[in-house]
Amino acid sequence: MPANLLLSVSLKYWQNFQDTLAKVMDVNIYIFDINGGSFSRFSRDIEVCQKVNKGEEKICNENCIRFYKDILGSLEDKGVFTCPYGIRLYAYALGTYAQKIGYLIITPARIKEQVGLEEENTFITKANSIYKTVNEVLKAILEKNVLGLRSLELNSIYEISRLLTSTIELEKVMDLITNSLIIIYKAELGFVGLREGDKIRVAQAKGDHDHLFVGKEWPMVQPLIEKFFSKVEPSFLSINELKTLPGLSGLELNSENKIVVYPLWTSLGAVGLLGIVFSPDSMDDNDKRNLQIYANFVAIALANAKLVSRLEREAETDFLTGFFNKRALRNILVNELERTVRYRVPLAVIFMDIDSFKSYNDTFGHVAGDVVLQKTADIIKESIRTVDIAGRYGGEEFVTILPGTNEEGAIAVAERIRKSIEMYPFPHRKVTVSLGIALAKISDSVDSLFERADQALYQAKREGKNRFHLDLS
Amino acid sequence: MNDFIYKKIERYENLLREMWTASEKYIGTFSVKLLVERVVWDLSKEYREIELLHYNEGMISCAEIAASMKKNPNLPIDDMFMKFITRYVEILSRLIGYENTDKIANWLNEEFRDIPFDSKD
Repeated sequence: MPANLLLSVSLKYWQNFQDTLAKVMDVNIYIFDINGGSFSRFSRDIEVCQKVNKGEEKICNENCIRFYKDILGSLEDKGVFTCPYGIRLYAYALGTYAQKIGYLIITPARIKEQVGLEEENTFITKANSIYKTVNEVLKAILEKNVLGLRSLELNSIYEISRLLTSTIELEKVMDLITNSLIIIYKAELGFVGLREGDKIRVAQAKGDHDHLFVGKEWPMVQPLIEKFFSKVEPSFLSINELKTLPGLSGLELNSENKIVVYPLWTSLGAVGLLGIVFSPDSMDDNDKRNLQIYANFVAIALANAKLVSRLEREAETDFLTGFFNKRALRNILVNELERTVRYRVPLAVIFMDIDSFKSYNDTFGHVAGDVVLQKTADIIKESIRTVDIAGRYGGEEFVTILPGTNEEGAIAVAERIRKSIEMYPFPHRKVTVSLGIALAKISDSVDSLFERADQALYQAKREGKNRFHLDLS
Repeated sequence: MNDFIYKKIERYENLLREMWTASEKYIGTFSVKLLVERVVWDLSKEYREIELLHYNEGMISCAEIAASMKKNPNLPIDDMFMKFITRYVEILSRLIGYENTDKIANWLNEEFRDIPFDSKD
């Protein structure tokens, strides 16, 4: 394998590919050659790097050069470092154990003062996926060493990397990958299975007998599925072995066809599998190696989609109570207000605050305070209908949105919640709540409706707490 | 070169354009482009002239192929284009199924009666 990246790889093509990957994965990427000299440029700007490198796209600051020479010289496989200007970076050796061809550096796209453990783990997952892809693509380019991969393979890889953006694009990525397998490699069949808890569900299949595959579900404990995930390398199977998967007993394929299944691993664990059926003469050793790139792309797309959906879920949920958070409540209320205006149905909002919660927290500690918040959320949930929406607005404030509910109904719900909390035997001392009720007007915005409910709540507090107040403005 | 050959190439050009548009609905622009590129690459081992086919975003042009006929009037264009179509359709049917490919084939057979078009070839 040639080791000189600059001689072997078209930098223009590479920079495009690298920049796209950096953009979709929301990270910064740059690559050094084996001697520690810059190969590619920064994919994205980092203000501090721009300043210290005086706006250059490559690293030219003496401090930085010394730092990179030191860490890259001692890097065995991968490592996490902090640069002299405080940027945390993840470094990977590119190439094989036998022959290193360069170094990949991945850093967050933005600099943050404090990073939580969850955020750090998410970033490591992304960085590992990027490393796998970059390394596979570079290896494939260098090993072919003519003009790199065939132009159509390059185009397909570039297009797929462009689509690796979000959950919404997952379908497109899977579609393009199965299409590419059939068009470029003349696969007879390609299928992608997604891991859903304790099973694999086939989400995409193209080619001969594809209808037999789409929607099939295979338990993770099924012996063949267990075999796929018992290693990181692809499994080569016979038709008879493939037919042992649930729902495939009727599959009729040429017994000489080759079947290969790639387990899709990321730092999140096993995320799915990519299966390909070839006619006996349509795959050579180079193809086999290049197919690993497609497998990596599917793995990244799936891991990305999982991360995005988890972050979206987390972004809408309050960790302590499992209730919707302020942002989600506001989004929901926008839709409910629209419905109110369009169909002229009533809509009520209740703002609720736990009385003297600060003193409870200060006296009995935050753990005891959290128990009160969780139990209060449980009581609210038990006091409302399934169509009603409850959320934690922040601190000890809760909001309940009651679609189709008039003044009388809203008062009944507020009283039910108030009484249930008053009666509940919380540890240490009695807990009470105050509530403000506002009914939506045609002219209301989310802010004005919340504002009126909030004002009503403060009126209830002023009137002596442990009560509700109805906004009559 | 006589007008008959020009007309023939123009007719193939129209057919390829219609094939592009019809397939695009099922597999999208990028996959169609990839498919054309694949078939050109495949066929170029037999007919280098197929590399003169220009294509981009639904725009297929055989103008350079037609121009090359002046130098090489004996190029068996029918065989070249028929092989192109057969290979294209063979891969397309794997992507969208035989039923959908037949729908496209039937419609193209009506439009271009003198060019046999069969998805199961």
